[in-house]
Amino acid sequence: MKTLRIARLLARPGTTGRAAIALPIVAFGVTTTLLTTVLGGALAFFSWHGEIAFTYQALAVIALSLLIVPLVALGGSAARLSARRRDDRLATLRLLGATRSTVARLTVLESTALAVVGALAGILGYLAVTPLVGLIPFRGEPLGGSLWLPVWVVAVTVVGVAVLAAVSAALGLRAVVISPLGVRTRQKAPRMHWLRPVIGVAVIVAAFAAIKGIPALDGVGTVVLVLGVGFGAVVAVLNLIGPFVIGAFARRSAKRARTAQRLLAARGILESPKAAWRQVGGVAMTSFIAVFAGTAVSIAATASSTDRQTAELVADIRTGVIITVVVSFLMVACSVGVNQASAILDRRTLYASLDRLGMPVAAMDAARTRAVLSPLRIVTIGSALVAAALILPLAGLSLIVAPASLLTIAGCLAAGILLVWLSLKATRPMLNRAATTVPDAL
Amino acid sequence: MTAALEASGLTKTYGTTTALAGVDLEIATGESVAIMGASGSGKTTLLHCLAGIVTPDAGSVRLSTPAGPVVISELGDKQRSALRRSAFGFVFQQGLLIPELTAVENVALPLMLGGMDRPAAEQHAGSWLAALGLADKLGSRIGTLSGGQAQRVAIARAQVAAPAVVFADEPTGALDSHTSTEVMDALIGSTTAQGRTLVVVTHDEDVAARCARILRLRDGRIVESRTRVGADGEMQLIERDQA
Repeated sequence: MKTLRIARLLARPGTTGRAAIALPIVAFGVTTTLLTTVLGGALAFFSWHGEIAFTYQALAVIALSLLIVPLVALGGSAARLSARRRDDRLATLRLLGATRSTVARLTVLESTALAVVGALAGILGYLAVTPLVGLIPFRGEPLGGSLWLPVWVVAVTVVGVAVLAAVSAALGLRAVVISPLGVRTRQKAPRMHWLRPVIGVAVIVAAFAAIKGIPALDGVGTVVLVLGVGFGAVVAVLNLIGPFVIGAFARRSAKRARTAQRLLAARGILESPKAAWRQVGGVAMTSFIAVFAGTAVSIAATASSTDRQTAELVADIRTGVIITVVVSFLMVACSVGVNQASAILDRRTLYASLDRLGMPVAAMDAARTRAVLSPLRIVTIGSALVAAALILPLAGLSLIVAPASLLTIAGCLAAGILLVWLSLKATRPMLNRAATTVPDAL
Repeated sequence: MTAALEASGLTKTYGTTTALAGVDLEIATGESVAIMGASGSGKTTLLHCLAGIVTPDAGSVRLSTPAGPVVISELGDKQRSALRRSAFGFVFQQGLLIPELTAVENVALPLMLGGMDRPAAEQHAGSWLAALGLADKLGSRIGTLSGGQAQRVAIARAQVAAPAVVFADEPTGALDSHTSTEVMDALIGSTTAQGRTLVVVTHDEDVAARCARILRLRDGRIVESRTRVGADGEMQLIERDQA
């Protein structure tokens, strides 16, 4: 009861405004809508029978494995945002004598409450969009009612989002629980462990070998399993390698920086390569998916003049590619918006400090833009190359580099970079407020 | 002595709270002024208005520069930013140092913002840090420094661009009395001793006593002004209550 009473008091908007509450709810909502819609679509194919059904199921598993990890990452970002806005208040509570367990309970309670509200809103979104998604034709007919998930799957999704939020919040606030002085006076910049790239490369090599060995496999289930686990594992380890690579580039950049903007951008990335990765990780996933999409488009282009069933499959692959790309872009837009807002809230003291020093907000914006766009270039190209390596044994180089494929890949990458750029522009007013607000005005 | 800063009729309100209620003030070049008062008396708002961090609702702030007087309160945001870079230095209670930068990078930052190349800026910053006894801390991150060392980094950063006026807001607020004395020695030695103007907001009588003039604020008005006069440096009440 005591925890609930304190939680009610702390639920009032703080200096960061209502955005700090609304943003995670929106992010949890979008995550849940996309997750349930994608799950509904994938499971719909598993109700089909017959020879061709396997091909659809295999493609659905590939799409699901490409989307599920980024969706979970988006949920994690939302949880971190909802937890981070409480750092100051929770650290103050510790100073006032609140026990570790009270602070831990408060943290988990607040984030979980926001996640549940967002997830329920997301289910409403799922109910609203599913009839529209049901109009999309596969095998010549609209998917229709086959998209509706069983109630227990919906319930498990809501619980899953809530658990994800609770775990992320508890992990994210360990520092506050450990130290009443909060997380401000970090003594050392975190260093990314060398095991990250080692594990990452090992997983990519293993996935490549497994996918290359698919023609020799027996049994439909085994092939689907290898495809799903292989692609899913590589998408997951991109999250492991990404921060290491970004950190390595930033260290070099910090040494070479000649201007204040470049120095701040590089040092900002080095302060938390994981946070820098979160800013661009969504686009890395999109560029990974883009290579699959491009290859699928070029497969469809070469196979257009065959029998009716193949023609239907080709048309359906195109549709599937479009859906996967659209979902991944919705996810990126949401993820980048949430992470940008989170980054500004995290660094508002720094921005206020720079403003007092006389750094124009335009220069701060330039440093922030550089801190996002320079890692973006690296991870976009890197993850596209990893995806091409994985798909090589299945499709061959000529399909990957076919004009239709390259055009699709280039279009997707350009759209991803444009989304990030737009989100940077959209959050500029928030940066303005953070820089020019004088909290201790009296 | 010429006036470095002149404020007249400064008024500022936040919602229904009046932070400044018509403050008139003149600060001479090379003078050190302490602004005291209870919490909420308006002293930090006065410092922010003088430094162009916030704009007053009414009244004006005029700064003397080699190129002629500049009315800060009439400048746009960009011009005020430029003025803060070139003419003012800041030392705050928390230092407001940038935790991800090293000590020398923090001090070099104002110079780099002014367009100086990094090697030259860091060389200049290094000499200021060395002068303040931090020659062995150039590459240290702020989190590894003690409170007194961090505050000396903030002082070096405030001085590095050779500003006309240095503003300090509770510069010793988080320090013990011994470290506080060291920090004030460094602050006075690098400002008024070099002919620069120093404006300090403080609750600490010992810190205020190091300044040539002490202003007391209450409810957004200057209610007392004491100036050090005579050979023994005794403080005398020169004026009371502007209203």
